[in-house]
Amino acid sequence: MGEIISLVVGAILVNNFVLSRILGICPFLGVSKKTSTALGMGGAVIFVMTLSGFVTSVINHLILIPYNIVYLQTIIFILVIAGLVQVVEILLQRFSPKLYHALGIYLPLITTNCAVLGSAIICTKENSSIITSVIFCFASAIGFALALLIFSSLREKLDLAKVPESFKGTPIALVTAGLLAMAFMGFAGLAG
Amino acid sequence: MFTPILILTAIGLFIAFAVAIIVRYFGMPEDPLKQQITDLMPGANCGGCGFAGCGAYATAMAEGKAKPGKCPSMNSENAAKIAELLGVTVEKSEPMVAIVCCSGDDNTASRNAFYNGVNNCRDAMQIDAGTKSCSYGCLGLGSCANACPFHAIEMTPQHLAVVHPELCTGCGKCVDTCPKNIIKLVPRSAKIHVFCSSPLRGAEKRKVCKSGCIGCQKCKKAAEEGQIEMNGSLAVINYENPPAAEIASQCPTHVLRSNETTPKKSKEETNE
Amino acid sequence: MNKSYQFYGGVHPAQQKLARKSAIAVAPLFPFYTVPLSMHIGAPAKPIVKIGDKVLRGQMIAEAGGFVSAPVHSPTSGTIKDIKPCLGVTGVKTPCFIIESDGEDKEYERMKPFSDWQEADPKKILSRIAEAGVVGMGGAAFPTAVKLSPPPGKKIDTLILNGIECEPCLTDDHRLMLEKAKEILIGIQISARILGVKTIILGIEKNKPDAVEVMTEQAKDLPITVFPLNVRYPQGAEKQLIFALTKRKVPTGGLPMDVGCVVQNVASAFAVYNAVYKGIPLYERVTTITGTPLVSPGNWHLRIGTSFADAIRLAGGVKEDPAKIISGGPMMGFSVYSLEIPITKNSSGILLMSPSEITQFQSKSCIHCGRCNDVCPMQLMPGILSTQIENECFDLSENWNVLNCLDCGCCSYICPAGRPLVQHMRRAKAEIMAKRKEAKKDTPKGKASK
Repeated sequence: MGEIISLVVGAILVNNFVLSRILGICPFLGVSKKTSTALGMGGAVIFVMTLSGFVTSVINHLILIPYNIVYLQTIIFILVIAGLVQVVEILLQRFSPKLYHALGIYLPLITTNCAVLGSAIICTKENSSIITSVIFCFASAIGFALALLIFSSLREKLDLAKVPESFKGTPIALVTAGLLAMAFMGFAGLAG
Repeated sequence: MFTPILILTAIGLFIAFAVAIIVRYFGMPEDPLKQQITDLMPGANCGGCGFAGCGAYATAMAEGKAKPGKCPSMNSENAAKIAELLGVTVEKSEPMVAIVCCSGDDNTASRNAFYNGVNNCRDAMQIDAGTKSCSYGCLGLGSCANACPFHAIEMTPQHLAVVHPELCTGCGKCVDTCPKNIIKLVPRSAKIHVFCSSPLRGAEKRKVCKSGCIGCQKCKKAAEEGQIEMNGSLAVINYENPPAAEIASQCPTHVLRSNETTPKKSKEETNE
Repeated sequence: MNKSYQFYGGVHPAQQKLARKSAIAVAPLFPFYTVPLSMHIGAPAKPIVKIGDKVLRGQMIAEAGGFVSAPVHSPTSGTIKDIKPCLGVTGVKTPCFIIESDGEDKEYERMKPFSDWQEADPKKILSRIAEAGVVGMGGAAFPTAVKLSPPPGKKIDTLILNGIECEPCLTDDHRLMLEKAKEILIGIQISARILGVKTIILGIEKNKPDAVEVMTEQAKDLPITVFPLNVRYPQGAEKQLIFALTKRKVPTGGLPMDVGCVVQNVASAFAVYNAVYKGIPLYERVTTITGTPLVSPGNWHLRIGTSFADAIRLAGGVKEDPAKIISGGPMMGFSVYSLEIPITKNSSGILLMSPSEITQFQSKSCIHCGRCNDVCPMQLMPGILSTQIENECFDLSENWNVLNCLDCGCCSYICPAGRPLVQHMRRAKAEIMAKRKEAKKDTPKGKASK
């Protein structure tokens, strides 16, 4: 139990995907202009990352390791995740239009999100079991959503602030992201 | 040697078939209109239309949430086709330019009081509807200049807003911002304009502003029938049938003049 | 009933009550009076006399233009010279009577006094108050008759008499309480009888010990509690006063009657007394004319319609050029640029400020010190609101309850960066109200709101 807690806390706060591992920066900057879109994106990431974490670790344990082809993991994972997201999107549209509309355009955007692939690869590297990888992926996704949410709230305030002309837009957003990452460094050493 | 290739191929084939089958049996039929529009889009996903990409813009158009013609990269042929699909006509609008219909700067127009509040015309309106004596006068605090995305409005040192037609794109943001409603969009082709908005009697205007239209009607007499109308003591140009530029010389207060006479500002200066 | 409560926020501006010691004097007649048709909240009054008509003092010259409205009476006898738009305090021109005095000051037939107000029908007294054009004389000028007739569903149990006068510089309520204590108390009892209220509380700030003494003495045998309160601006604001005296909180967007209270200013109570007990309509009020540039600041019984120029001459003129002339107090008053502006039913004071008293702050960026949050009596966050308003995010500021702002100006007073906070909020309120009005206009026609 303690291991799981330290795994979860570590994935959310200590080794936050965005702010510590610097993965998935594209959506982090792209869809963080408004809190509402950030929430949608966060939800989509949690959904896809958990699912892909499960599928990739199954493939890892049943195919890659027995046949000794772990070196092919990147290609195979990209293939699997992309196909998976496509399938999920189509099924959602058919069976749960509400969820489909809530996740909206973010679902297809995540297919190539490096955070999703990154979480899958980290799992294989640590050689964790299927259950641990699912928990790890889920927690990492929550960490991603958390960072996105905090950052989008900051950016909403940033819109009202007086920023020097040359810093307006992305530059000041990057500066803020850096400060936020430094703040998250304060969690280092927590849980483990 | 062959095992990895086989496995990779197998996984690829499996996913391909799975997606194909699911699309075949569970996929929602696409809106044919949306498909047609998407085919006509340039596909550059430049975002110039203000949407996330060509697909998003096409969807918005198909759902009637957006109008065609916002895409900067589309050729006119495709634009016409899309408009035809949507059953709307693309308006061939005449290029417009904004003008500030006031000539009363600090040298010529009087003020009731010294205003030292928030430096914004709309704030100034809270007190005494601005402090200019003429209630149709430019307040000169530059709300329009701040609103202009193209830096086309210059505030003169005498606190009068002046539009530089060579920079103005006719977007109309300043028109919405001006609390006095004295900024108008006029056709670019028109040569001369009346830079006054007050329909009050000439004598009343003269008391508060030396550069207003006094309603002498000289321009109306010099112009052809129907080119200049009078609204009270204010000459109004009929932009359907604009008068010739030479008439401007008739105006005793030079309130009827070309908007080209304003001092030009170079792009570099604007960016400073 | 022996405890007062501390409302949230507030500031302690310097008192500067120069005219505290000068007794209320009666102003002489002036040749011209400018009487606005709209001196109250609600519909403007409708003129019932024509240009050239002769009118007498106290004659009704304009009748109420709706339910929430008040009639207007002539301040003296003379001729109606003109009815034309004239400048008001806010700088907007509103239609006004120009009355030329004939110097005789003949009185119009007085309305029958209710000397037996304890027995008279409350409905009749109420219609008398409406007829006499009595409005709230503390600031908002809400018609008193409307205030005293709450909708049937609301139960009123407390009537609060407002003798706080928390605005610095002003002394008119203070002097009125000293000199007309008996009349004020009769006035408030008349109001209490109309409302059917047993509890009457008089709130006075402790910086007026003489008024507290006089009022306590006068109210000894009456069912009125005199309550001295600690000095704090804006204690005189309705919602803050209700909290200070009863610990009841008026809900957001609500009225005092929602918590069973009605607040009446001492000047209004005096006007009620005049209207009911004596039959004199409201054409005169006590106004403080004060400020360091004046030769002799003081308090006067001024007729409605007296121009600022005449009023300032009354106070002996100026010994140095004033830098600012303010109608009302320094915290909430309006700076004016013309001396043609008339005294209206809610002009509690004219304040002149010398150049040395005026500081022009250069507005800087918000430093997030949070002092405005500490002093805002409505518990808003003025600093954040002002950045939102500067960026024209009015929808956002509406969500942050900018409409609750009561314009007290504490935030601007305290701001170390000299930010025009209350000015920003005023603008936001104006923009939001304008938008709502537009939306209201659009809906019946079935147009989509912008």
